[in-house]
Amino acid sequence: MTNNRVAGDSEHQEVGALIPWYVNSRLSDHERLRVDAHIVDCAACRADIAMEQRIFDGIKGAPTIEYMPAASLKRLQARFDGLQSRPTAADAASLAQVRSPWSKRGLMAASIAVMAITISLVLADRWVQFRAQQAAPNYRTATHSPPRAPDEVIRAVFSPAITLVEMQAILEEADLRIISGPTEAGVYSLAAKSGRPVHASLALLRRHSAVRFAEQTQPETESEPGNSR
Amino acid sequence: MTPLSKSSPKERDSALLAAVAAGDRHALEELYLGYHRRLARFLSRFTKRYENIEEIINDTFMVVWQSAGDFRSASQVSTWVIGIAYRTALKSIRRQKNHAGAGSLDNHSEQTVDPTIATEVHDWLQHGLSRLPVEQRLTLELAYHMGHSVEEIAAITDCPVGTVKARMFHAREKLRQYLPALGGAAIESPTRIE
Repeated sequence: MTNNRVAGDSEHQEVGALIPWYVNSRLSDHERLRVDAHIVDCAACRADIAMEQRIFDGIKGAPTIEYMPAASLKRLQARFDGLQSRPTAADAASLAQVRSPWSKRGLMAASIAVMAITISLVLADRWVQFRAQQAAPNYRTATHSPPRAPDEVIRAVFSPAITLVEMQAILEEADLRIISGPTEAGVYSLAAKSGRPVHASLALLRRHSAVRFAEQTQPETESEPGNSR
Repeated sequence: MTPLSKSSPKERDSALLAAVAAGDRHALEELYLGYHRRLARFLSRFTKRYENIEEIINDTFMVVWQSAGDFRSASQVSTWVIGIAYRTALKSIRRQKNHAGAGSLDNHSEQTVDPTIATEVHDWLQHGLSRLPVEQRLTLELAYHMGHSVEEIAAITDCPVGTVKARMFHAREKLRQYLPALGGAAIESPTRIE
């Protein structure tokens, strides 16, 4: 008797767990027959099914907002266009995995470039300081000015917010290269990279808002007045 | 592309996904348009904001595009796609929670129904569903709106069948607390005949 009761409870619980899929008609034939057989004698499960059917009808028939997918698809297509090429299946475990190799390479290249520029600037600065120490007495006054390198044509001060890449771009445009700096006051000594007239390079520098100060340090053969910012 | 007009939806999906795996963007677009409505409805249980829904759908199809070659035909394409959307939506919810503290996508939906004026079945249901934990809410949605079997829901949500049944059980229990009259029809407390 007790065993029958326990078995009945167990069957009731197991059938009860099947009711949602009985209602949505996704039970196997075997499971459906099991539920059918149980509810013949179980009013609780019949009530459950009736209740669940109302919930099912309510969710199934709930009005939905109709979205127009065309605009969304366009945005997705734009994202695809942003991808250089289709990665292989091995790379495609996730979007992050696909993107990461490229971003890592890009970051590595950028890091190397920044390091190279930084090292060259530091070395150039040290070299000029070393030469200055060799050439000049080791004292400074309020009016002391560090010796000028022979090929220095311009001294410039850049905005503290400028990146090395931006600075390089400006110098490239002006056909200039850094020969020393920055000093404690943030001054860079610049030399010409080509035969472009110094005043033309100076004018290009002064066009940039990131250049706080730019001044010619040597008179040109053809005279051109230099204005400081 | 092979002619797909006379094939069943499952065969059509499989053929489209095979074409996607081969790099066919038109096939992906066709798949996208075929799934957009279903996914938008499903995802509206996560969030009512369309920009969130669109982002999750597009993220889902980015993964479909990247991973189509990994699809195993042992499962259905629809189960696979909806499973990706499900996991993408859960990630989106976690992100939202991290950014907004206690606020989440779910909380938006809770404010959409005023229980004091909800008199119809739909309103009661919206109110009740919005109070369920997201996994329970979506289990109901997957079963009742999308018509998935318990095994398919287990595959979509990547959890055991027993977990799906437990979520469904708790969802139904909680939902009943919010549906005392279910649109005016009094629900008698069921008695079991031994």
